[in-house]
Amino acid sequence: MGRDLPTEDPLVRMQRDLKRALQKKPEEIKWGMVIDIAKCIGCHACTVACVAENKLPPGVVYRTVIEEEIGSYPHVGRRFIPRPCMHCQNPPCTHVCPVTATWQTEQGVVIVDYKRCIGCRYCLVACPYAARTSDFGEWYTAGTPEASGMIIGRKTAAADYELHPSAEYGKQWPERGHGSPVGNARKCHFCLHRLKVGMLPACTTSCIGRATIFGDRTDPESLVFEMISSPRMFRLKEELGTKPSVYYLK
Amino acid sequence: MRDKYYNLIIGLAIIGLIIGSWGMFQRLFFGHLPMAYGSYVPWGLWVAFDLFFLGLTAGAFIITVLTYGYRIKWFASLGPISVFMVLVTLMCEGLIISMDLGHPLRIYRFLVTPNFKSMLTWLVIFILSMWAIYLTWFYLILKEYFIQWSQDKNRRGHKLYGWLARGKQTYTEADRERDRRLVRRLAIFSIPVGVLFFGLHGALFAVLLNRPLWNGAMTPLLFTVAALLSGGALISFLAYLFYPKEEILQPLGHIVLSLLVVFLFLEGMQFFVGYQSGITGVVTSLNLIAFGPFWWAFWIVHLLIGSVIPLFLLISRPRDVRAIAWACFLILLTFFAVRLNYLIPDLAVYKLEGLENTFFHKRLRTDYVPNLNEWLVSVWVISLGILTFFLGSRWLPVLPAGKGEEEHAC
Repeated sequence: MGRDLPTEDPLVRMQRDLKRALQKKPEEIKWGMVIDIAKCIGCHACTVACVAENKLPPGVVYRTVIEEEIGSYPHVGRRFIPRPCMHCQNPPCTHVCPVTATWQTEQGVVIVDYKRCIGCRYCLVACPYAARTSDFGEWYTAGTPEASGMIIGRKTAAADYELHPSAEYGKQWPERGHGSPVGNARKCHFCLHRLKVGMLPACTTSCIGRATIFGDRTDPESLVFEMISSPRMFRLKEELGTKPSVYYLK
Repeated sequence: MRDKYYNLIIGLAIIGLIIGSWGMFQRLFFGHLPMAYGSYVPWGLWVAFDLFFLGLTAGAFIITVLTYGYRIKWFASLGPISVFMVLVTLMCEGLIISMDLGHPLRIYRFLVTPNFKSMLTWLVIFILSMWAIYLTWFYLILKEYFIQWSQDKNRRGHKLYGWLARGKQTYTEADRERDRRLVRRLAIFSIPVGVLFFGLHGALFAVLLNRPLWNGAMTPLLFTVAALLSGGALISFLAYLFYPKEEILQPLGHIVLSLLVVFLFLEGMQFFVGYQSGITGVVTSLNLIAFGPFWWAFWIVHLLIGSVIPLFLLISRPRDVRAIAWACFLILLTFFAVRLNYLIPDLAVYKLEGLENTFFHKRLRTDYVPNLNEWLVSVWVISLGILTFFLGSRWLPVLPAGKGEEEHAC
């Protein structure tokens, strides 16, 4: 009461913000994300969308939804905290990479060069948010029997999903085998390949509660900027000085 | 060393290579799939062995410091064998850590696109420096014998020694003096390099601000003392095998005893400060070490077999070379548990509350136990190291090169 009801879907506004941001010079954009945990219902749609978008294999996950129980019986509550990569402005993971295979772009996104990464996993150890996972070469269809005729066997099942190249970083990553990204550290990259063509990250568009807000955090007119200014804003493990670009609203 | 023991060790190493081949086959053909580590415990058995091997290189460092730093002549005869041991352990370290890499063939990236902010880059630089120092040193020490052995046409492999001597047929007094001067310079140069090298192992962990058990200035110190202790124990044991003399073993026993006491003190301080701080991550990690599923690795393997019994032997029988050798052997044998106990517990704590209930996959759990394949690869690498070392001790002039060296050490 006393507050205006929303007149448009936040997605429409975010799309408009994104269009405006893409008009700017790339170095003037600083991507950011706000997650309103009061709105998150823990449906895990963002996790599933991310896995599908990036063709993530088993054991590799960019965005999990942490379920936290508060209080003790009978006075208990539950809250959900989606956890993508924080895209820290002072990222501990990039400092430790011995071969400069991971770095922060001028737009503030921490990325990995799959062709340069040696797979030492030091960045996994250094990340305070456990936001990096290693691709150990797992297959969803491993153990699926070969079959002929009308039954879908391993090859057919794999062809429908696993053999599709991932479009991460705007490249077509080849069939999974021993080559990259197998053996590499992998992480959320704010769906850069989608942003490039004017689309919001998969986790943002798939959020049914509109709990995930994305945009240029330096644009005062953007929704993400407005949200970051909220007194409800906090960041995970702020005491470490990592300065995440992912903000939360209590 | 008696032939029957020598043959037994060589036989065991060959059996180890054969058994370990299965693990190597799994790793080389199926990558990391058959291994147990995951994304939350990304470093496992092989990284612990890597640290173990790097620590063992401190044996030669101790000899260097004592001989050239403190001008103690007694240990100079151990120089060649300890330098050879460093090269073998560096080989084992290189092998096991390349098995751990996701893309070992991209190792050249360390040279092409190095990140000088990363401690790992510096560790690689220092590992390469150790290779350069000890390989040159090794060659200079043995050069005279390569020339001598190449001249002996009845000796098996004399052509190989001729090749190693680079066709040189005489070794003059001037050559000897020049090489000794170079060896001394290398030894002195290796002292600061060694200090930084052993400290860097700890710095690799100490700089990680999200790892409360590791993050701190004491970690590099703890790693340096740990390296000196394990390396010292190894060199003392080798001294017993190849030079079982009281005048060598007794002072080495004193050094190992002092290092063991300092190490246990530092370890005790880590527990005391950790529990007193009450930081959840630290307390959970310490509880895992002391009271977790592998409590026995800490209390029985490390503290009882690897510390209390050696302490008793070194204090109660300081002149008995066999007791000293046994004490050092026990420290050496159990020190791997120290490395594993230091590495895994901090990794085995979920870094965000609730993470354990969010996404279920075996690679996203913290309850890591090395599987058979990981052990087999380790067995293969260790067996190769043992085989190389003992074959080298017979086929390379490492033992004669040490004899009489003490007269010229300073």
